Amino acid sequence: MSEHEFHPLVKQLLDGDITLAALPPELRAEGQEALRLLAAVDRTPVQLLAISQHVMQKIAVRPLPERSVWRRVVAPREVRLRIRPWLLAPALAIAAALILFLRPAPTAAPGSLITVRFVLVAPDAHEVSLAGTFNRWDAHATPLVRSGPTGVWTATLTLAAGQHQYAFVVDGVRWVPDPGAPAVDDGFGRRNSVLTL
Amino acid sequence: MIATLLVIPLTLLGMQQQDSIAARLAGRVTPDVATLVQQLSVAASARGLPVDPLIQKAIEGSAKGVPAERVATAVRWVAMQLDTAAAALREGGVVTDTLVIAAGEFAISAGLSNHDITALARTGASVAALTVGLRVAGTLAAMGVPSAENIGLISTKLRSGRPPGDLLLVPADVQSEIARGVTPAQAAAGLERAAAAQARHGPPPGRDNPPPHPPAPPHP
Repeated sequence: MSEHEFHPLVKQLLDGDITLAALPPELRAEGQEALRLLAAVDRTPVQLLAISQHVMQKIAVRPLPERSVWRRVVAPREVRLRIRPWLLAPALAIAAALILFLRPAPTAAPGSLITVRFVLVAPDAHEVSLAGTFNRWDAHATPLVRSGPTGVWTATLTLAAGQHQYAFVVDGVRWVPDPGAPAVDDGFGRRNSVLTL
Repeated sequence: MIATLLVIPLTLLGMQQQDSIAARLAGRVTPDVATLVQQLSVAASARGLPVDPLIQKAIEGSAKGVPAERVATAVRWVAMQLDTAAAALREGGVVTDTLVIAAGEFAISAGLSNHDITALARTGASVAALTVGLRVAGTLAAMGVPSAENIGLISTKLRSGRPPGDLLLVPADVQSEIARGVTPAQAAAGLERAAAAQARHGPPPGRDNPPPHPPAPPHP
């Protein structure tokens, strides 16, 4: 089969971009030949009925896969998001309600305050402070006062009712549990004293 | 439409909570620990768990100069204990709130088991009373009272229907008994018998109304 390459202008003619009259005279014969060949093409639709029926029969005999509830849940599906500005107001209202009502509850009932006196005997200490859940474990927030030459350090605090864990901090570096209170493992290899009010 | 109404509030709520947690952790813990605590807190909050114990544990570890990896491990451990406490309370039929879960977590950290928590939850006490009961049970465990005597005493107290503040007297009562020379187990068992007798016959003279505030804890 010989290959015939048409002139680009003839190709434009075949594409319908130009008319035969628009071709240069020297190309009109080629253009007519190209149109003749195009007209000779059989445009009768190909009958694929037999093939289609065969394929469809094959498909029909295959059992449909069972779609379990789980498969329906996890099956990918198209999700369309539409922005609806008029829903913004109720959404923000719900957000405000959630923020007000679902925020973490305080750890102690408000209004119930109890005064507690903390005492540590540490004759050799230069400074002693108290750190615990009530002062965000700040080792400098609650210093104890040395009373007299005996080395008794004291502090009096007003705490909310509830549960508190704490330790004494001696000379800024040594964390010491209260020898007069029960203690639990702090998770770091030391012990925290416990105060339940 | 429903998705819009739910997604926007929950997103805003999560952002607000993360901001709050970040503010509490700012300057107190390393960035890695802060990120971990925020992630654990958001997940815990979504499960109805309190986030304060996680934040407190992270701050505590950093304040004590503990390496960040160990702080992270401790915070994760607290999160697990909160889950355990919540499950134990649900097992006991209690509709949990964050305070009672935190109290349960403390009790577990003090040495009680999830079965002990469930046993106390099954007393039918109010959530407020159960919260105090769990805190006191944890305190007794820290004092060396074995689980059986501990749960027996606190269960009896909870079933008595006395005000929750009455429970706060128990550690001092146990301490007094120990000071007399008995073991913590014997002290708790004796107090349980007394509480059971009181429930049958009424309170002894002078103990009808509990004092408005519990006495200060014992100190040397």
